[in-house]
Amino acid sequence: MMIQGLRAATAVLELAERDNGEPNAVVAAAIAGDLRAFERLYRQFAPTVYGLCLRLTGERTAAEDCTQETFVAAWRALPSFERRSRFATWLHRIAVNTVLNRRRRPSAIYEVATPGDAMPDAVDRAAGPPPVDLERAIAALPEGARQVLVLVGIYGYTHGEAAAMLGVAEGTCKAQLHRARGLIASAMGREVS
Amino acid sequence: MSENLRPDDRELAQLPREIAPPRDLWPAISRAIRPAPRQRWPMALAAAASGALLAAALSWAILHNRPSSVPAPAQAALAGPAADLADPSYVAARAELEHSFHERLALLEPVTRARIEQSLLVIRNAQDDIRKALAADPASPVLQELLDSTRHDEIDLYEGVVRGTQPAISRT
Repeated sequence: MMIQGLRAATAVLELAERDNGEPNAVVAAAIAGDLRAFERLYRQFAPTVYGLCLRLTGERTAAEDCTQETFVAAWRALPSFERRSRFATWLHRIAVNTVLNRRRRPSAIYEVATPGDAMPDAVDRAAGPPPVDLERAIAALPEGARQVLVLVGIYGYTHGEAAAMLGVAEGTCKAQLHRARGLIASAMGREVS
Repeated sequence: MSENLRPDDRELAQLPREIAPPRDLWPAISRAIRPAPRQRWPMALAAAASGALLAAALSWAILHNRPSSVPAPAQAALAGPAADLADPSYVAARAELEHSFHERLALLEPVTRARIEQSLLVIRNAQDDIRKALAADPASPVLQELLDSTRHDEIDLYEGVVRGTQPAISRT
């Protein structure tokens, strides 16, 4: 018990010493078991986590569930947060894992928009490119391509980081990004470069 | 972090990373994590379990085949799964037993005494821990059960020492 208290105090000190733009003191308090501090982290990071989950799943209900599961998993894993990475990055990894694990469940059915859903019913090619919203085009991408595009293109992760999160080879990640770009360009009626 | 992004990708990078959830998800998250606080319960449980083990082992070592010396009325007052802590007979019996325990403890070898005191400390630390957790979650039946269990461990330890040292008292 004393050792645990000492560890928590050390965690607070270590985190207080760092200044990387993150709520270190709040993270440290949450690590020490402070539920109110964890709620503050939820308030701060929920929009990013939900945004990530929404774009990875392409479906609102699934994104809500994944966001919820991410924060529950984060609370349970907080004692193992080693502070080598930023808290936001750590949380994003949990979110990606949650989405992937949920995908693997037999009952998981995401109502991801198909290209047909995303595109207008009647496209008059002569009238120019269809007015397809970029978000809808992303949601309509095949799963692997969408995941890479979201992590690398929107959330700014490197191929190495995205590959590690998704559990795929870096080359696969690059190939998926290339594929995603082509599909997006095509959906947006742009020339594929 | 970004790499390999082309001019066309700027449009992607400009998409908002933050999208507010359509409803507040915190109440559900809070419900999911409250029943199992991460640190205090397992520690308290481990401490209670280790205290019980130590107490049981010591009691067995001291008491094996020894006759009981704890007065029957006191035993009756202290026994039972849910002794009433406010019951005067319980309070008196407990005080009497605790007094006898401290008297008898002084008769033991220093090494044995140190082990018993260490065992008692483990039990009391566990009780403190559980009381703190109970202050935050007073309605928890699990915590209440744990606290009761550590109280029984404490009583068992007292009884063990009192019964185990009875022959030594008789000889003097």
